[in-house]
Amino acid sequence: MLLSELFLPVLMVMFMLTVGAYVVAVLDRLIAGAFGAPQAGRVWLAPMARGAWLMTQHANATEAPDWQAWRLAPALYLALAAIGLAVVPWSESLVATDLVTSVVLWGSVEALATVVIFLHGWSANALLALIGGYRYVALGLSYILISMFVLIGVALPAESLQFTQVVASQEALWNVIRQPLGLPLFLIVGLGMTFWGPLNLADSKDLAGGTASEISGPPRLVWDVARAAMLVAFSGVAASAFLGGWMGPWLPGPLWMAIKMLAVLLVLLLLGRVLPRIAPERCVTLMWVVLLPLSFIDLVWAGIGALL
Amino acid sequence: MNHGIGIDITFLSLATLAVVTGWRVFRTDSMVRASFFLLVSFIAVGVIMILLAAEYLGVAMFFMMAVEMTVMALFMVMFMMNPAGLNPMNMVHQERIAIGAGIVGFLVLGAMALLAAFPDQPVSADLEPVRSLGNEMLGDSMLIFESAGIVLLTTMIGVVVLSSHRGRYGAAAVGSLPPGLEPGGDPAGKLEEDEEEESGGHQHHHHH
Repeated sequence: MLLSELFLPVLMVMFMLTVGAYVVAVLDRLIAGAFGAPQAGRVWLAPMARGAWLMTQHANATEAPDWQAWRLAPALYLALAAIGLAVVPWSESLVATDLVTSVVLWGSVEALATVVIFLHGWSANALLALIGGYRYVALGLSYILISMFVLIGVALPAESLQFTQVVASQEALWNVIRQPLGLPLFLIVGLGMTFWGPLNLADSKDLAGGTASEISGPPRLVWDVARAAMLVAFSGVAASAFLGGWMGPWLPGPLWMAIKMLAVLLVLLLLGRVLPRIAPERCVTLMWVVLLPLSFIDLVWAGIGALL
Repeated sequence: MNHGIGIDITFLSLATLAVVTGWRVFRTDSMVRASFFLLVSFIAVGVIMILLAAEYLGVAMFFMMAVEMTVMALFMVMFMMNPAGLNPMNMVHQERIAIGAGIVGFLVLGAMALLAAFPDQPVSADLEPVRSLGNEMLGDSMLIFESAGIVLLTTMIGVVVLSSHRGRYGAAAVGSLPPGLEPGGDPAGKLEEDEEEESGGHQHHHHH
């Protein structure tokens, strides 16, 4: 019982964290290469080499940081990614924790990510890191709200807050077609909460790296791995909520799930490379004035669909 | 009571975590740290609620408290004018009253825990906590919950409107002017051309 309920799920999540973060690093380098960015070393080895290099580097210290929070924040962000991966179902029975309220738990992961990213920027006791942290809080609230409305939309036809039920409710029609606004909005949330590509405003270049501007060595390795793992967890949630999860013809469920997660990851990483970064002030306006009302429309659409 | 020792160990460690972080809230020297210690305490309580089969309420505790504590930390920093909440400050005020209230509260709650007769009504295994909670909140009690929600939202907006009226450099509606470099002196920095206040040594007003 201890083996099947504790050991195997933990092992599964750890495996996903490691492989997922590596896949993100490789895919991102492949996409960058396809766009003509110069490559140093081989694509498959480069992430490992960078990881090993970071491991051997000295961890930077600032003047009087909040040591506990500063060192814990990257690990906590990684832990949140692990919680996210734990609720992603790979088939009807293959899921690390099949909690009845797993959709709400994912919502909590997004909310707690705001806390952790803010703490990461705040605890360094450095100007640019602090601005990055505050920036994320200002934006993170709108990401959480949009995500919440979109996820309530997918929970409605399933009549459940459980991801396995949400997937099962897409037997006839995937949510990406049933609620056309859902997936695009959710992808924007994904880029936001991992501050990736166009929505990288917390760790952006204009802040010399933002919340991560003062970290080096092992903490930076953990932070980078955690961001990549969070992107993987997010693509797993997106694939379950909108793309029918494990469902598909011929192939076994977990394989379909992996294919769909890879597809979502590819789209996110492509968007990250193609779109320019927007200014934080305009991003807040965009979120509250355009995308949040769109998520209301998505929810009303889902509600009408559930009533009919 | 047919639960394993694992549940007991989990409960005891979570309860310890909740109490210790709750104590740290008052011993730390920063508003941001205090807020997030409180968050850890609430999360531990949330997990205990999940152990008690309140699966929705426990998880709801995580995201509600996460957003709440973030907003609280930021608003405290904004209103207390402590740059970024990094300056050390005392988190305890009116210590005598607080100690008295703490002792009374502890005694009352402790007496309740020891002396009250708790009902022994094990719920049936096929009870669906999420569904029954939803039926309760959005069934007969819907009007109460929705009215309470709207009242709370209105209160929050009202409080922000009232308290943000006076900013650091005067009333928000008038416009912000920095304080003078000497008491009662000209505002530091750029001065409006049509400023009517006669103060300081500048007498070269241009009236159009």
